Amino acid sequence: MKDFGFTLSPSSAVSLDKVDSRLWHKLLETSPDAAVCISCGSCSASCPAARWSGMSIRKVLLALQRGQSVAPMLSCCMLCGKCTMVCPRGINTRKLILALCRICEKP
Amino acid sequence: MKEKVLIIGGGIAGMEAARQLQALGCSPLLVEKEHGLGGHVARWHKLFPDMLSAESLVTELEAGLSGVTVYRHTEVKSINRLKDSYSVKLSNGENLVVRAVLLATGFRLFEAAKKEEYGYGVYDHVVTNADLEAWMNGFPDERMPEAPRAVGFVHCVGSRDIKAGNSQCSKVCCMTAVKQAIEMRERYPQAEVYCFYMDLRLFGKKYEDFYIGAQRDFGIHFIRGRVSEVGETIDGRVQVKAEDTLLGKPVKVILDLLVLMSGMVCNPSASALAPQLRLEIDSDGFLRSRDNVAGILESGRPGIFYAGACTGTKTVPETLAEARAAALRIYQYLQA
Amino acid sequence: MKERFATGFDPFVIPFLIGMGFVLAYCAYGILRILFQLSREDRRRFLLSLVTPATALKNIWDIFCNCLLHVKLWKRNRLLGFMHSSIAFGWFMLILLGHVETVLFVPHRINLFYYPIFFNYFVAETDATLRGAALFFLMDFFLLLILVGIALAIIKRVRSRWFGMRRTTRPSFLDTIGLYSLWAIFPLRLLAESFTAHISGGSFLTIPMNWIFRQFFGNNLYMLPCWWAYSIALCVFMCVLPFTRYMHIPAEMMLIPLRNAGLRIRHPRKGFARVEVLSCPGCGVCIDACPMSADKANLKDCTVYLNRQIRRGNERRIREISDKCLLCGKCEELCQVGVEGPALRIAQREMRQYAVEPDYAAVDMAALREAASGSKVLYFAGCMTQLTPAVGKAFESLMHKAGVAYTWMDREGGLCCGRPMLVAGRRDAAQKLIDRNTELILSSGADTLVLSCPICYRIFTEAYHLPGVRVVHYSRYLQGLVLLGRLKLEKSDICYVYHDPCELGRGCGIYAEPRKLLGQAAMIAEAPQTKGESICCGGSLGSISLDFAAREAITRHALENLYASHADAIATACPLCLATFSRYANRPVRDLAEIIDRSSV
Repeated sequence: MKDFGFTLSPSSAVSLDKVDSRLWHKLLETSPDAAVCISCGSCSASCPAARWSGMSIRKVLLALQRGQSVAPMLSCCMLCGKCTMVCPRGINTRKLILALCRICEKP
Repeated sequence: MKEKVLIIGGGIAGMEAARQLQALGCSPLLVEKEHGLGGHVARWHKLFPDMLSAESLVTELEAGLSGVTVYRHTEVKSINRLKDSYSVKLSNGENLVVRAVLLATGFRLFEAAKKEEYGYGVYDHVVTNADLEAWMNGFPDERMPEAPRAVGFVHCVGSRDIKAGNSQCSKVCCMTAVKQAIEMRERYPQAEVYCFYMDLRLFGKKYEDFYIGAQRDFGIHFIRGRVSEVGETIDGRVQVKAEDTLLGKPVKVILDLLVLMSGMVCNPSASALAPQLRLEIDSDGFLRSRDNVAGILESGRPGIFYAGACTGTKTVPETLAEARAAALRIYQYLQA
Repeated sequence: MKERFATGFDPFVIPFLIGMGFVLAYCAYGILRILFQLSREDRRRFLLSLVTPATALKNIWDIFCNCLLHVKLWKRNRLLGFMHSSIAFGWFMLILLGHVETVLFVPHRINLFYYPIFFNYFVAETDATLRGAALFFLMDFFLLLILVGIALAIIKRVRSRWFGMRRTTRPSFLDTIGLYSLWAIFPLRLLAESFTAHISGGSFLTIPMNWIFRQFFGNNLYMLPCWWAYSIALCVFMCVLPFTRYMHIPAEMMLIPLRNAGLRIRHPRKGFARVEVLSCPGCGVCIDACPMSADKANLKDCTVYLNRQIRRGNERRIREISDKCLLCGKCEELCQVGVEGPALRIAQREMRQYAVEPDYAAVDMAALREAASGSKVLYFAGCMTQLTPAVGKAFESLMHKAGVAYTWMDREGGLCCGRPMLVAGRRDAAQKLIDRNTELILSSGADTLVLSCPICYRIFTEAYHLPGVRVVHYSRYLQGLVLLGRLKLEKSDICYVYHDPCELGRGCGIYAEPRKLLGQAAMIAEAPQTKGESICCGGSLGSISLDFAAREAITRHALENLYASHADAIATACPLCLATFSRYANRPVRDLAEIIDRSSV
């Protein structure tokens, strides 16, 4: 099992002054609802791909805002739509994933 | 002659307002659609933060109603505006003419079955916060396990949820969950108790003390993650899936009881009355006050006032304070 | 019968010849181009089908029924059917009879293209013989038929509601020119033939008109200008035809043989897809059919506009329209020509390039294989059913009651069936999922696979190859258990209205089985729009870009249709429909399995 969870060590500390959030802003152009995520974790809990890949839209959105790489997680998505169903904020996660798969740089 | 004031709803807001209006020399007429007074609170067990008995509060409020005309089992059929009063038709056939109307219609608990994924009404051991209080009040409930080893609470069921049609926070459920979690732990010290929350909103006086107590004295597990799926094991226990968002990993737990913290939505009878009186409905589905700072009690229509949870989610002390304020406001209106 | 001119020519035929020459050249080029665009295998298949007598006959029959008689449209809307078939069939008969006349009376002129069209101008006293009179009578009859059709078409332009259409397309500029020239052709022909009737002869329509005209005009001065006008109208129509929606006339004649040859869309723009796009007559039936048009929203996102934008090459709009669609398939169901709206959109989505490619190497196949093994009967609930536990629980209870040993292979979560990936236009990724699920099912040793989710069922029947495994929808499977006497149902007096899920009904053609099963457990009412015309619940995974708020109106609209049946509750057979409807419905919404479970003893 791959693990994409965060580890906190001094070397991996995120400096918000230097974060590269270009991808995040590019995503917001087409999917402005990405901004309303409250990190409740519903999407990750129901994700069938999370079992073996650590896939989590919540983490993807957070990672984008902190300038971290997201591509490895995205490649596990099966686009089944469960995350869209459970999101309490009504975020269209499938659209968001497809948009990200398009605009991401190759891992 | 005493001025007549119609109070719609015999919950704690209606009762307290009736008592105060009576004391101010008006003639309140209290209409309640059910037999018993006290509304949701009458079915509750203990009230936070002092763990006051809900029953004693309702008894005390009811005792203050001597001299107040109370119509039980009665609903308002129609209301029409006259020149400076309202003509009211009740379901028992009576017609009243009143100078002012106070809407104290309160809230309705969100129907937990609407959140299909939680399996309320499908699984054997899934109940709501209201079911749990009723059970604590001594009403038998076959869904309650004999000696639970694990109990879970799901916060925000039908609150802060666009899919459920309610984007607002129901504000009392966090504290209720903490309270109920402690109560369950007290009853079943051997049981592990889990609270699955999105954000803990413990804003009121002494609420934080409860939280600290729940963590330190009762060892309740707080997991920051919204439950997204509930399954059932072969032996009929409940399996809950969530993400521990702080750890960043999916978690699973098997429980003997799952309690859904159903949120508050506007009482449908208030929404039904609104068009007759040309009252506006706010974006959260509750009645719209003139403003939400100094005019919460004002409907914007002359002689129509609001008290309690008909304008939004409220705690018991807030509701009682609003009821008193509404009584005074109506008294001033009648004097003018 | 006499010929009026030894040369058999008059300059007024030149515009017609130009138009005709242009349109024939264009179509010939078009056909060659389409043939060239087809894959080698498809092309071979197509050409072979043309010389296979059975398909060739079917082609002719289908073209006759659909292009000329508009049988499908008749069944749906008689007035529209009459309008279209009167013009199409009438015009066809005019051309055919024109040729018959030429062959019969002036056989040496048959090699002149224009002769059958302008026959009346070049001959005299044709109606003197019985044969001539009969043919002229037929000519007048069909001309009258067309004129009635044109009159209806003009009324329809102004008052489309009288024809049962709430919304129609707005024609483009060239469409308008095509439209007006088409409308002008036949009245001009009537005028031209009427002015000539005292020379050429005529019948019940042209002779009286000729008599009236002669009272007023008295000479032959107006004869030639009318023939000129008629010829010019034909020329204008034929010259603009390739650039207007009237291109559907030749394109549909190409589409029918291609479809009968068993061809499918393989490229989003070329070959079969191109013919489908050109075959769209722009009638706008799909606007009213589209569930997204509830509350007058998304009116420009239905199939007719997709076709228009593909013809114009407006990539931004093509992307927008293709991404928004719910893929419910209702437009395809109602389309008179058979334009595959959903397939066309999926093909557009497939054009997209992705930087991140799916990779399922990390899937723990061993665990999934173990979860799937153990019994001869496998149950695959699908991802969505995890969120509607009522369905799975009811199915489990029924299997228990019937005493069937089975394995719920994705009880603890499994792999997605691949359909959501496929409809998003990522065929390769979907194939990866299909391959993995196939491996799991085949290695389990099961001989029956029961599915309750229509989304899964559709892809399992369409794209999976599972030799030795019977793939069966639970409505059929449970019916089998009832027939075997393993499940006993008691009919309750609750009345349900059955909502046909898009993927199950239009997608897989399963309409009867769920109703049959439901009918043994409860009363059934039908909604006004049902079966093939059922309205999408709005929850469909087909749409990529439609957000949650925009779907509410669609769901409410679909619910209104179901409420109109006055049923006590709503029944459906799709977890997604169930979850979507439950959100807004004012009465209970239950899955088929739940209802059967409640009624079984």
